[in-house]
Amino acid sequence: MSGHGDGRWLDDDKNVRLIIKALAVACVLLLLADVALTVMDGHHYHHHTHYSVERIPAFYALFGFLAYAGIVTGAKQLRKVLKRPEDYYDE
Amino acid sequence: MTSSLLAQLPPGMILVLGVLAMPLLRLIPGGTWVRLQQALSLILPVVSVLHMQWIAGLGGPSPVGADPLEVVSYAWSTEMFGYTLTPIRVDRLALVWGWVFHLAALLSAIYALHVKDTLQQVAGLSYAGGAIAAVFAGDLITLFVFWELTAITSVFLIWANRDPGSIKVGLRYLIIQVGSGVLLLAGAIIRFFEEGTLDFGQIATGDPLDAVGVIGIERIGGLLILVAFGIKAAFPLLHNWLQDAYPKATVTGTVFLSAFTTKLAIYALARGYCGESVLIPVGVVMTLFPIFFAVIENDLRRVLAYSLNNQLGYMVVGVGLADFATDPEVARLALNGTAAHAFAHIIYKGLLFMSMGAVLHRVGTIKASELGGLYKSMPLSAAFCIIASLSISGFPLFSGFTTKSMTMTAAFSSHALPGVGMTLVFVGLLIASAGVVDHSGIKIPFFSFFAHDSGKRVKEAPLNMLVAMGAAALICFVLGVYPQPLYDILPTPVVSSAEAAVAGQSLYYQPYDAFHVVSYLQLLLFAALAFVIMMRKGWYPAEIRAENLDTDWIYRRAGPAVVRWLAWVISSARDWVIARALDAVGWVLGHVHALHSPRGGLLGEPWPTGATAKWATALLCMYLLLSYL
Repeated sequence: MSGHGDGRWLDDDKNVRLIIKALAVACVLLLLADVALTVMDGHHYHHHTHYSVERIPAFYALFGFLAYAGIVTGAKQLRKVLKRPEDYYDE
Repeated sequence: MTSSLLAQLPPGMILVLGVLAMPLLRLIPGGTWVRLQQALSLILPVVSVLHMQWIAGLGGPSPVGADPLEVVSYAWSTEMFGYTLTPIRVDRLALVWGWVFHLAALLSAIYALHVKDTLQQVAGLSYAGGAIAAVFAGDLITLFVFWELTAITSVFLIWANRDPGSIKVGLRYLIIQVGSGVLLLAGAIIRFFEEGTLDFGQIATGDPLDAVGVIGIERIGGLLILVAFGIKAAFPLLHNWLQDAYPKATVTGTVFLSAFTTKLAIYALARGYCGESVLIPVGVVMTLFPIFFAVIENDLRRVLAYSLNNQLGYMVVGVGLADFATDPEVARLALNGTAAHAFAHIIYKGLLFMSMGAVLHRVGTIKASELGGLYKSMPLSAAFCIIASLSISGFPLFSGFTTKSMTMTAAFSSHALPGVGMTLVFVGLLIASAGVVDHSGIKIPFFSFFAHDSGKRVKEAPLNMLVAMGAAALICFVLGVYPQPLYDILPTPVVSSAEAAVAGQSLYYQPYDAFHVVSYLQLLLFAALAFVIMMRKGWYPAEIRAENLDTDWIYRRAGPAVVRWLAWVISSARDWVIARALDAVGWVLGHVHALHSPRGGLLGEPWPTGATAKWATALLCMYLLLSYL
């Protein structure tokens, strides 16, 4: 696959998809765990929370996803303003 | 006699003095000097840490029931020029930094073992020694001396590249670092006239009126010192020396640099300004702005410099939260969080710089646009890099999770800022945590070792680099699964059960709580999911060769341009004035000439004698008339 005669397991897109699927499964499991712990023993589970939004199941999942997408999208816009040729400072 | 001399030698000075033998070793004929220098660079950190431990134990056991934050286990003061200076003062806060700085010095020395450059050996270890000595400074003058020593020694880690570009970068770095020291000295002198003391921050936790050590920003002296610390801590807008200089140092030099200067500044802030609430918003901004720059930066060592800046933000927030007057429990947790985070961060950030240094060493470039697929040639470096990435992201089982979370917990339970202030801090720190996942968790390992295969096939990193990286990775993992040894040495010792905690002497903290683990894993894995989706859809910004503007533009482009413009204005003005003046002189001379010209000039024509007699007669007649009036 790599064209260098040293193709590895990761060079196969099928295996990359496998890793992505594993990540997706882990994400689903985390959501299930969050819901289950909230339903079963919410009082003890949320003992160390400080903000009420933290007690909404999947709050951190949603936050992580949106914050990440927002940062990357924001940075892409920033690049339009800040990008200069590599030899800009001529050093 | 010898022991009393050693008791007056600040910890770390063994490194500073010991490296002076390095150049002498080169005088030994044959090739043995290389081996001897290598041995010395490994022995010195070990001897120095033993010396530090010996000094720390000189004061004997601390009194039972005392607040561990307030116990000074050893101090040495002396009169100099009529002022009382305290070159050595040992307490728990200083010792955390003393330990981790020695550890970083040793790991960096192992990493740099293959470098046959006496300049770098001397610069690296004396820089580390200066930083350690600064940590134990009990007064501002001693702090200033070692503050400047770190500046002057560390610049050689940049200049050691020995090319014109690094000379320029080094000069910029040196000007800013020395400038910070000058501000510190000015602040110290002004503070001496304001408060009558040169003492540097003996932390007082009890009655706020007793908190004499805290410098405070109410007066000019304290404000100047805060700016001096802020420069080295890379506060927003004072930060850009970091991203400018660190990627331009040598492969091994950057590993040294990443450990000391900025964390010394965090230490100084913790000692002098703990509980200063203005540091909370400053820190939050620091965690946020670098993450955007890190996404679009192509030089992976510069990405790490932005990431370093972001990490310092959490520590600055922690210092700001440590207000003992309003909430001592949160204050202890926040100060502990800052110290623990600094400890873990020095190791995992060093490891990240080591792995990128190994890539630069083998491939010859560290531009993401040129790299990819290197896990095939450098599998061990890749594995160590991933461990550092997991640590900095705060993944459970790694050191970031057990340390940074302490500051986060303190921030979430604090009421230090009025109104929605603390809610904004909560949101800001969580966004920043998602940002860390991107730049250090994913971007660094992904674009160097994986991503598109660049086709580059190189050798694995040299053995000494692998040993240093392996040791650092081990520490990241051990502190993640068993943080207790670190918790024991924090400013306030941490105990693992709520019952065992004694108010004012120890603190209960448990990172592995179900909610904490689940919520943080959600944040991390869903951020990773977002990355995967954006990458597969082609929405993730491509790695391209480019320079991105930051505040260094002000002094690299705008400043010189303004100076050039001013020079043009001044020289044009001068030319204009000179031209006009010459015109004026020429005009005057022309008229004088015309007046006196022998051809037609009024005063230049020859006069007949008769005319003179006529004029003289006329004058005499007028005189006669006037005398009768």
